[in-house]
Amino acid sequence: MYLIDMLAISPQESWNGKAYLNNIRIVSGNKLMAIEPDYGDIIKPSQLRRMGKALRMGIGCGAELMKRNEELDGIIIGTSEGGLEGCISFLNQIVDYDEGTLTPTNFIQGTPNLVAGHLALISGNSGYNITHVNGGLSFENALTDALMLFAEGKAERLLVGNVEEISDYNFNIGYLAGLYKGEDSLSSGLIGSATPGTLAGEGSAMFVFGRSKQPDSLRLVDVACISYPTKEELSKLICRTLEGKGVSSSDIDAVIAGYSGDSRSDFWYDDITNELFPGASVYTYKNLVGEYPSSSAFALKLGFDLLRGDSVPAEIVKKETGRPLRNVLIYNHYRAKQHSLILISGDFSPEKDSSP
Amino acid sequence: MDKEALKSELKVHLVKYLNILDYKPEDIADDMPLFGEGLALDSIDSLELIVMLEREYGIKITNPADGRKILTNIEAMADYIMEHKKE
Amino acid sequence: MLQAQDEVYISGFGCITPIGSNAEECLSSLRSGKSGIRRPVLFQSKYASLYLFGEVSLSNEELLSQLDVAGMKGLTRTDLLAFKAFKEAVESAGLSPEEISSPDTAFVSASTVGGMCLTDQLYKDSNLLTNDSEYLDSYSCSAHANRIVERYQIKGPVDVINTACSSSANALMHGARLIRSGRAKRAIVGGVDSLSKYTVNGFNSLQILSSDRCKPFDSERDGLNLGEGAAYLVLERADELKGKKASAQLVGYGNSNDAYHTSSMSDEAVGILRAIGEAASMAGLSGKEIGYINAHGTGTENNDSVEAEAFRRFFDPVPPFSSTKSYIGHTLGAAGGIEAIISIMALGHGELYPNLNFSRAIQPQGLHPITEFRKAELEYVMSNSYGFSGNCTSLIFKKA
Repeated sequence: MYLIDMLAISPQESWNGKAYLNNIRIVSGNKLMAIEPDYGDIIKPSQLRRMGKALRMGIGCGAELMKRNEELDGIIIGTSEGGLEGCISFLNQIVDYDEGTLTPTNFIQGTPNLVAGHLALISGNSGYNITHVNGGLSFENALTDALMLFAEGKAERLLVGNVEEISDYNFNIGYLAGLYKGEDSLSSGLIGSATPGTLAGEGSAMFVFGRSKQPDSLRLVDVACISYPTKEELSKLICRTLEGKGVSSSDIDAVIAGYSGDSRSDFWYDDITNELFPGASVYTYKNLVGEYPSSSAFALKLGFDLLRGDSVPAEIVKKETGRPLRNVLIYNHYRAKQHSLILISGDFSPEKDSSP
Repeated sequence: MDKEALKSELKVHLVKYLNILDYKPEDIADDMPLFGEGLALDSIDSLELIVMLEREYGIKITNPADGRKILTNIEAMADYIMEHKKE
Repeated sequence: MLQAQDEVYISGFGCITPIGSNAEECLSSLRSGKSGIRRPVLFQSKYASLYLFGEVSLSNEELLSQLDVAGMKGLTRTDLLAFKAFKEAVESAGLSPEEISSPDTAFVSASTVGGMCLTDQLYKDSNLLTNDSEYLDSYSCSAHANRIVERYQIKGPVDVINTACSSSANALMHGARLIRSGRAKRAIVGGVDSLSKYTVNGFNSLQILSSDRCKPFDSERDGLNLGEGAAYLVLERADELKGKKASAQLVGYGNSNDAYHTSSMSDEAVGILRAIGEAASMAGLSGKEIGYINAHGTGTENNDSVEAEAFRRFFDPVPPFSSTKSYIGHTLGAAGGIEAIISIMALGHGELYPNLNFSRAIQPQGLHPITEFRKAELEYVMSNSYGFSGNCTSLIFKKA
């Protein structure tokens, strides 16, 4: 499937095109909070006032893209937790008021499918509508769904995106579980950090994909995932996925790897890039946006920006080979349990296989 | 509490409970309609306000239809609260 | 129409619901009209004494004793219900451990409550009031699926769907699509939800819980009963059956959004009609061939009148239909899976399960659900599921 349009709200200035690549923000502390745009023109004040951050970001991002791209055949969202802030604030009221009178606002806000549902509602889109909530693979599941819909001939254009927010609650739970660094640190020093834990991140990245080739030919070729793999199983999956698309590992010009600065699990990225892609450049992205379950959506936005020929900012370079970019593989894992691959290409000569 | 103070307090609660973005408490007139025109609140807001009356003033409204009558504007809400505080 | 290599069969299933701890027990309750809606015994909430619920009768301890999950920590009731139904499903399909963990086997689950059934524990953990909680990885909608993936070493595609109350119907659809796309040869699909203070307080705040037994499609209906349960089905590509007897074929599915309101359906039934229409056209059916509809039928004012309106508009005549939520309650993320199994049992045994607690039809549609158990020759059955935020899904099964 082919990229038509994209938009991202993230801890970087990504709302306005690609300018963020020339001006990477550095954050201190252990939360990288998203920079939200002015939603005034996108969401009605009467609706905006009820929305938590996840909803604002997801609906803001999606609604703006839908304004620019009419006639979509469906909406597919990947989010591990959805509007968790609203959800847990409802739960807190249950406990604090001992199951007293409660209003439905936070309850409805807490349902993860609300972003996709609300986008359908405001655009009057009665087409395919679904929300994938499989933790660190939620966004990849959404992409797979879109690939299948195109292959089935059931769609010409689809909105696909993610959203995740940092709420105090999920940060606390993650913190107790040892997900985040205990010490204050700078996002610029994240990659290569020698301590356990990472920095929390959030954001929403939305994409309009089309079934047929677009003028700039940016293509999402395939997606593959595996849970709790051994290194051998993961390597096999990578080889099988590339082979299936007629790509060899030496064709991969760059790997965008999900290095999170967690000393316990970054070895996966070292191992895969060194052993399978020794000739490829290696770029990072979590030093820009932090770690969250559907962060690969931001990596995809970054990957497409780089494929369009933008100069690669020094901050994201783990290894530079100087190869021009044509095939880029995004490899990410979430807590070393859920691993995913997204293969994209600036595919200027189409494959014989013209399937989306 | 006198009625003027109660009305000012109600406006603050209204803005806080409903997270109203386009009005400050002092911009809300006593006779401004809450539903339909004016603040243009909806049915979920009326449930929010029923919860607000319970939590802040100990007033329980069990029938949502009664709620709409009480919640016409700030003036009417203040009257209702003062009446029921007397009882 | 489907090509032979696209044919997806149901080779086994398992469920645990308020009317039985396995599919066989559920079947016998359906046949005898035995409802599972009652005052809860295990569920702790202020509302336990005010409303009726569909509670699974097995306690967490009893569930644990029937499962092989030794060494797994932080298991919630949601996890236990899921494990129980999953185990029955893979056993009934005769899947070996190697088949379950083959890269060709997908797992698509669904849940809306996840580990939030532990409301009070989650309150403590999220407000930093605990030390060494074993539940930190237990809360999200995908937690139960992660546990199953870990325990059964599932290496194929895994997905978890949350479209509110249509979640597991979408899991079935997604599993079938994974098979038809060539991404899997078989898929274990379904969903789970357990009773929780979270959902009870949520549905109470929307004022759609009935203090009586729910009365789907009755003009005097006054709300739904929350239930709990889990259901999994094994879908296999025709050439993977290898002589196994399949119970049904999944021949049609349609997914849409009503695009009308967050917590109610449009009077014109836009989303429902589109989902039904797409499922029927995929199966190559006009509607006349559908011998039974397992309706969403929650028993709320809005759902049942809109669903009845959709039936009246799409079907001529409207086929026999019933809502088996009158036995089980609304099990949210599990409902689509449980009702798919009930639809398949109806198809396989050639029988219709009545809609309990019905006396007068909703006007102006005037539609009467089936109110007595009876035998019927069935070729195709439809199962409908609708969720908040407008999500609509219809599935069509064919007799195998």
